[in-house]
Amino acid sequence: MKDKKDHYVSAFQGVMLTLNCLAVVLLCVFIYYTTEKIRGDYHARTFLDSVKAIPEDPKYNLYICLFMMGILVITFILRQFWKEQKHRWVFATLVLDLMICIQIIWQLDFNYNGLLLLVFANVISYVKDGKIKLLFVSLAVVGYLIADHNLLSIYENLYAVSDYMYYYSSEKQQYLFSIYDIVISLNIILFIIYCVYVINAQRSTIEEVHQLYKELQTANEQLKEYADMSERMAQTRERNRLAREIHDTLGHTLTGISAGLDACLALVDVSPDETKKQLELLAGVSREGIRDIRRSVHELRPDSLERLSLEVAIRKMIVEMSQVSGVQIYFDTEEEHLKFDKDEESAIYRVIQEGITNAVRHGQAGRIWISLKRKDGEIILTIRDDGSGCKEMKSGFGTRHIRERIEMLQGTVSFDGRHGFVITAHIPIRWGETYD
Amino acid sequence: MKKNQRKTVLLFLLLFAVICFRAGIYVSREREIVLEFGMFTGSNWDVENVDSFVIFDKAIERFEAEHPGVKIHYYSGVPKEDYSEWFSRKLLAGQEPDVFMILRSDFNQFSSLGVMKDLGELMETDPEFDSGKYFTSAFGTGQYGNVQYALPYETVPKLMFVNKTLLTKEQIDMPEQDWTWEEMYRICEMVTKDLDGDHFPDQFGIYNYGWMDAVCSNGGEIFEADGSGCCFTDERIIEAVKYVQQLEELNQGQKIIQEDFSGGSVAFMPLTFAEYRTYKTYPYKIKQYANFQWDCITMPSGSHGANRSQVDTLLMGISANTKHEKLAWEFLKILTYEEEVQMEIFRHSQGASVLKSVTQSSRMEEIIQADMEEGDTVISGNLLGRVLEEGYISPQFKRYEQAMSLADSEVGKIVESKKAVDSSLKILQRTINDYLRQ
Repeated sequence: MKDKKDHYVSAFQGVMLTLNCLAVVLLCVFIYYTTEKIRGDYHARTFLDSVKAIPEDPKYNLYICLFMMGILVITFILRQFWKEQKHRWVFATLVLDLMICIQIIWQLDFNYNGLLLLVFANVISYVKDGKIKLLFVSLAVVGYLIADHNLLSIYENLYAVSDYMYYYSSEKQQYLFSIYDIVISLNIILFIIYCVYVINAQRSTIEEVHQLYKELQTANEQLKEYADMSERMAQTRERNRLAREIHDTLGHTLTGISAGLDACLALVDVSPDETKKQLELLAGVSREGIRDIRRSVHELRPDSLERLSLEVAIRKMIVEMSQVSGVQIYFDTEEEHLKFDKDEESAIYRVIQEGITNAVRHGQAGRIWISLKRKDGEIILTIRDDGSGCKEMKSGFGTRHIRERIEMLQGTVSFDGRHGFVITAHIPIRWGETYD
Repeated sequence: MKKNQRKTVLLFLLLFAVICFRAGIYVSREREIVLEFGMFTGSNWDVENVDSFVIFDKAIERFEAEHPGVKIHYYSGVPKEDYSEWFSRKLLAGQEPDVFMILRSDFNQFSSLGVMKDLGELMETDPEFDSGKYFTSAFGTGQYGNVQYALPYETVPKLMFVNKTLLTKEQIDMPEQDWTWEEMYRICEMVTKDLDGDHFPDQFGIYNYGWMDAVCSNGGEIFEADGSGCCFTDERIIEAVKYVQQLEELNQGQKIIQEDFSGGSVAFMPLTFAEYRTYKTYPYKIKQYANFQWDCITMPSGSHGANRSQVDTLLMGISANTKHEKLAWEFLKILTYEEEVQMEIFRHSQGASVLKSVTQSSRMEEIIQADMEEGDTVISGNLLGRVLEEGYISPQFKRYEQAMSLADSEVGKIVESKKAVDSSLKILQRTINDYLRQ
């Protein structure tokens, strides 16, 4: 469909180019031929009395115009090859065309300005923006009106093709004037038809785009509905899981306990010893049940880091660790808001966790100092202890995990085991994402 | 894509080659510059002249010596009456010469067509050039609409031819240089006589004195400077036409012809300086006006004017399309501004130089004296200079020639038909204005 349209546009441009070439060449040949006729008739001096100006050299004029029309034809053919792949080249040829047309119109002393319409016909089809197109069309019309021979000859001495026509007999004059007018009118008519066609073609393209846009919006809305629905489904699934969990653990245990208690009720009068045994069994089952519930709840609860801010999470971890192991842990940071990207926070949290574990497990440390600083766009994390350290660094002391985590963030990490054990990590901060 | 690119490159290479080729031709042509000079053969003043090439050959020789590698080419054998058409044909084909002579009748039309280059910038930028060296009237002739399109080459004023033999016979003194209309009328009245007794006068006062001669010497202007109208109702013009009519009435309806003057029976006749020089010197001296003594004086002055007469000037200009502007200017200067070349005009032509220093020099008088008989008085350089400096220049507008010939024939009719001058001129004023405003 689009190719077909392009062909029509090209055909239109071709016809306009042919007509304009014909007009320019006819004009030049006519002036040259008439000049030679006047010279041959020895009417040169009388002729000069009837004109306001004459061309500098009609023969040279003819050659120059032929040459320049040749360039117009070449650029037209080149544009057919290039089409839309070579925007810059197409643009260059259009500018070249404009300059050549102005030159030709100048050369012809504004006797024929239809070439302007040809240039703007090309511009209209290659310029996509509606406002710029409108600008060019109005420029073409204004230029066409201003570059009028009759108007300009008030201010400048311009040679007039009509003066050359008046040299002939009145009968021939009528023919000549008719041909001249027909060529000019034909060019204008072609230009108007062309404009209407191109504008129509482009309007239908715009409508197509509108249609596609509408379809895209409908699809978007549907997608949103699907997203809502899947969220609801996830909720339902979660509820189902909860129900199953409750049924499997709490339900099972409670059923067992209630059955056991019924048995106890029946036994209590007959054999208190048996009942006692039975109750002990039931106590074990309920403890088992409580453990199961705790496990379930724990599984359902998110990680502390996800719930808490980094700093609070770290402090909580430190408190827990020191309570369990009896080691003194000091945390020191100068930052008021410890807020980084998710993966950075996670890495920092895990490295500290790993560092403390290592210090306690391998170094038998009594005190641990942790510091977190920001310097020159980097986070500097140091974990130092007063433990035994190690004379030789061996991998596998839990350091591998630390290294992996830091390197994933393009950071560097160093270990020093000479006096106690020191871990120093440098993590680059991503720009613009530091503070939310 | 690739193929197209190759094609484009090939195309541009081809274009480049063509440009180089053309440039090569152009450069090789440039090596020897040929300057075309457009001129006609013979005299501009409608007198015989056999030496017309001599001055140009000398000027060209001098120019070519000063500018090696530059040649001047001129077409010989175009007579003055064919020159206008010859030049127009060249002009239409875009082959006009670089430097060329311009006939008075072509100057206005050619100026309005933009044939000649505006010399303003060339004159200003040339430190050697001083337009004050030219006679004001001669220099002004080359202007159209306040733009200098041409420089004067040779000039010829109108003088009054006096038949000394006839005046002596009638016991009338030779008029002074500052004589007036009244004096001339008185002399004409005295000499107009019937000698053979057929009741018609056969000795006359003046022949060929035109109404324009009277207008000039009465300080009148017929047209507005820009050709937008005419002023025939001006008092000075009415006076002039009336004066011519009075002179005509003295002849009592008799038509004077050239033969009457040649035969020695007319006292005065206006003639050009060129005619003066031609018929004062050998060989034309014996052909015309040989049977009486004659001399030239200024035109008589009217009550509002001075002893002023019309000045005709041969102009030269540079083509507006010349490729060798500077060289053309240098050549034009050699022809019109070089004193040596201008002095040649007195040797080999019949006009006067347009340079004050040449025309008013004693060498000029010597040159003219050499051609004359011993008893003849030579027109003094000062007199000639005064006539030229004060000379009347016709206004320059495009339709001057046509308007003037229309006016000339109409005034001629008024003078002949003895109609009331005032009312007839009023009607004429309307007619000419209608023509000018068409």
